[in-house]
Amino acid sequence: MATAAVGLGNTGWIGNQAAARDAAGVRRLDPESSIVARCLSGDETAWEQFVRTHTRQVYALCYRFTGSGTEAQDLTQEVFLRVFRTLKTFRSSEGSLNTWLARLTRNLLIDHYRRTRQDRATDSIEDRLPVIEEHGPVTRPDQVLAGREASAVLQAALEKLSPDLREAVILRDLQEMEYREIAQVLDIPEGTVKSRINRGRAELGRLLRNRKLAV
Amino acid sequence: MNCADVEILLCDYVDGTLAPVERAAVERHLAECRNCAELARDGAAAVEFMERAETVEPPQELISQILFDPPWRHQRAGWFRRVLHPLLEPRFAMGMALTVLSFAMIMPKVHQFQPTDLSPAVVWAGVEGRVDRLWERTEKFYDNLKFIYQIRATLREWQQQSADTRTQPGAGASTTEQHRLPASSAEPNPAAGHSRTP
Repeated sequence: MATAAVGLGNTGWIGNQAAARDAAGVRRLDPESSIVARCLSGDETAWEQFVRTHTRQVYALCYRFTGSGTEAQDLTQEVFLRVFRTLKTFRSSEGSLNTWLARLTRNLLIDHYRRTRQDRATDSIEDRLPVIEEHGPVTRPDQVLAGREASAVLQAALEKLSPDLREAVILRDLQEMEYREIAQVLDIPEGTVKSRINRGRAELGRLLRNRKLAV
Repeated sequence: MNCADVEILLCDYVDGTLAPVERAAVERHLAECRNCAELARDGAAAVEFMERAETVEPPQELISQILFDPPWRHQRAGWFRRVLHPLLEPRFAMGMALTVLSFAMIMPKVHQFQPTDLSPAVVWAGVEGRVDRLWERTEKFYDNLKFIYQIRATLREWQQQSADTRTQPGAGASTTEQHRLPASSAEPNPAAGHSRTP
């Protein structure tokens, strides 16, 4: 019922505002489908609410994956552009809105990663290494790093992971998604998700241990 | 429990979500297996470090940018932009501008086109004039063809006559007289078949 209502709700953004406020139709939906239906029928308040709710999640995923604030901002904007175009394909019966959004963002990130592979080949790893060393004072082995500093170190270490491991670790440990949801986002079996997360975490731990930042 | 079994459970072990029985089994294996123990230790260290890291916050202006530049604006202008996009590329636009400028400088002054040139009477007069000129030119072409054919036919006849005179020197004057006259009346008009004069 909810799915059908969402699917049929795509009548244009600015179009029929009256239909958008068909409270009787919207009220029957679950909260996620409801906001999607309102967005699809042209309710700008709903769109604003949607953007405010999900920008943080999308931006964090983009930033952790790319390691660049500027790129993350551009990609976040692109994600919302793509959300607008494909929102009608969202089915609440197939997973949560967060999972759907994470999958869309991840696909965009992978596209972006492939597109910019050539540029990164020349400068990425060597440029990032000093960041770890800079933030990895060997003389203070058991200190508690400030959150911001730890975030920067983590970012540098994440960028040394392969994209497969990186995305799995980000989705699990930084986006706090369930294994089942990650399997949906990455479109791989749950066992593979766990295996990637194990390897990703271990690799990350090893990188941090070598810099005497963890353990 | 072997290494493969532990690998499946390791995520939940590090997360601390394993049931006590499974947890005990994993810990027994970790006590015996150095590789798995290292994997678990590094994994737990990474998780602990990630918990310490500050969460990423988007810049405030990002939300404003997304809301200020809503996607439906892109959608409306989409097809128009797609069509015009190649033409609006700075390099292409500059090239086009220079081409137009060059032609404007090279081309001679042409008749200034005015709105009155589009009135039906003017258009019809122009078309009629062109048809007339074309017809006259065609007519003249066929007339010229006819005249050249007649000259050539006369020349051939005279050649024939002189050849006959040489082969029959004793022939009567009457016969010669007959041959000298161009038999225009007896000759079929060669141009008649081609004449398309109206």
